[in-house]
Amino acid sequence: MMKEIIRVFSFYFYQARKTSRTKTFFWLSTAAILMALLIRTYRIAGNWTESGQVIFQNFLMTFFLQFLIVLMALFYGTAIVSEELENRTMPYLTSRPLARPAIILGKFLAYFCLSSLMLLFSVFISYLILNLDSKFSFSSIWTVLSYFLVLLLGLAAYLSFFNFLGVWLKKPVLVGLAFGFGWESIIQYFPGTTQKLSIAHYLKSLLPRYTTSSGKLGFLFIRLEPTRPWLAVLVLSGVVAVFLLLSCALFSYKEYLYEE
Amino acid sequence: MTAVIEARNLSRWYGNVLGISEVTLDIEPGITALLGPNGAGKSTFMKIVTGQLKPNIGQVRIFGQKVWNNREIFWRLGFCPEVDSFYEGLNGLEFLTGLLVLYGFSPAEVQERAWRALELVELKEVARRPIKSYSRGMRQRIKIAQALAHDPEVLILDEPLNGLDPLSKRKVIRLIKELKNAGKTIVVSSHVLPEVEAMTSEIVLIHQGKILARGDLHFIRELLDQHPHMIRIKSPHYRELARKLAAEDYVLSITFEPENSAVTFETHQRDWFFERLNQLVLESDCRIEEITSPDDNLQAVFDYLVGK
Repeated sequence: MMKEIIRVFSFYFYQARKTSRTKTFFWLSTAAILMALLIRTYRIAGNWTESGQVIFQNFLMTFFLQFLIVLMALFYGTAIVSEELENRTMPYLTSRPLARPAIILGKFLAYFCLSSLMLLFSVFISYLILNLDSKFSFSSIWTVLSYFLVLLLGLAAYLSFFNFLGVWLKKPVLVGLAFGFGWESIIQYFPGTTQKLSIAHYLKSLLPRYTTSSGKLGFLFIRLEPTRPWLAVLVLSGVVAVFLLLSCALFSYKEYLYEE
Repeated sequence: MTAVIEARNLSRWYGNVLGISEVTLDIEPGITALLGPNGAGKSTFMKIVTGQLKPNIGQVRIFGQKVWNNREIFWRLGFCPEVDSFYEGLNGLEFLTGLLVLYGFSPAEVQERAWRALELVELKEVARRPIKSYSRGMRQRIKIAQALAHDPEVLILDEPLNGLDPLSKRKVIRLIKELKNAGKTIVVSSHVLPEVEAMTSEIVLIHQGKILARGDLHFIRELLDQHPHMIRIKSPHYRELARKLAAEDYVLSITFEPENSAVTFETHQRDWFFERLNQLVLESDCRIEEITSPDDNLQAVFDYLVGK
């Protein structure tokens, strides 16, 4: 089945680059660079005294972690099945010698890699812009790499969850929006174990050099009661595995009808 | 001949709506046309045969193997869906190569097969143009190309002539006939009777999810003895022929066309009619220029069977 996954991956990685969705997300991730430039200018004017690392961390948390990866995962994840139904291209795919789980996993990987590349570009450039005055060292590279790995883990977790919604529901985007920007945001402010019912909680627990209340946006994460890093990684990996398995099982069994 | 596609008691519902009901059908190599009005169940049958849908009751086998979730069968099967839809942003060549990659062919073979398929459907010149800029005929042909690019033994073509201009129709019909001559099993669906006639005489009539009749067009016509056959004879002696044949009790009606020097008979015993006609021609001096059967076409058969 690995070969089949790679075949699906190669077709969709190529095809998805040409879609309007990818073009939109490319410009949206590029917007992060513009925002970083604006923040940098604001800071040079003396309005922001925190270090570049702290500002970047806040920026990462608010723009990338709580907005961009959720939005990317929502539109790519739900599209894995629903775009085939909406564009009526499903028969081209399901009449090929491919195991149905390979279709899901291949498309998941293609969209994950595509989103990751867009993130990689904007995260590293934003980091550089916000830390231009810092001395660069291996530890700086490690820091930004750690941030990026957390984002990738979050992207994979959200993507697999939204993929499951797409396989399961006829109109998954609305439910996905409610989850990604409703549940995931609100539950962060709940104390105790309730906040552990969100993906964002485990991602925030993993952020390196995390400070709970520093920075102008510190009030956003003041309630965080972090989970231990190894457990957070385990939970997030579990989310990816469970929702991918569920998606594969459901897609293998389910029929998809569309209006003719 | 051994059946390539075997459908047994296939039934499929969409909620309360009937798709097909108790369809039992063996399809052999050659061209078989599924004929019926929109909503008759042709597409449902094709979707079940190509593993897009599961039947509620019954089973379908291709080369003796089940279809649903059986990826091995898709090496031997090509499907051209009815819908006019394509992947966003791709050109004709990318569309074909992308889908061929899914079979695991080497890159060189993918290219070779894609170009061969483009040549077959006469789209080589526009291969690098975006599909969205193609005419309807070109889009239909690129859909057929994707179905045959991996050289399958069985082709399922859902309304392949739908929306085509006459020239494109001729091209597609010629292509389908060439594929038949290459030994393939081809199932085509259509609701346009003359199109089907141009492709094959082996037809399956579907109406309201059920098979009304199946077989050679002329054989089906023979089954309809309760309905009169029309025989049109063009002859300078058409009046004399009409007078002599009018005495036969199996001649039901006679219609004259003086402007064409022709007469049309209605009979429910075509064999007896022709036997008598031969006798008349031999016995008398009647010269016949043309004999045709105006109602021996799919439209007439279909109308009779659905009781129009």
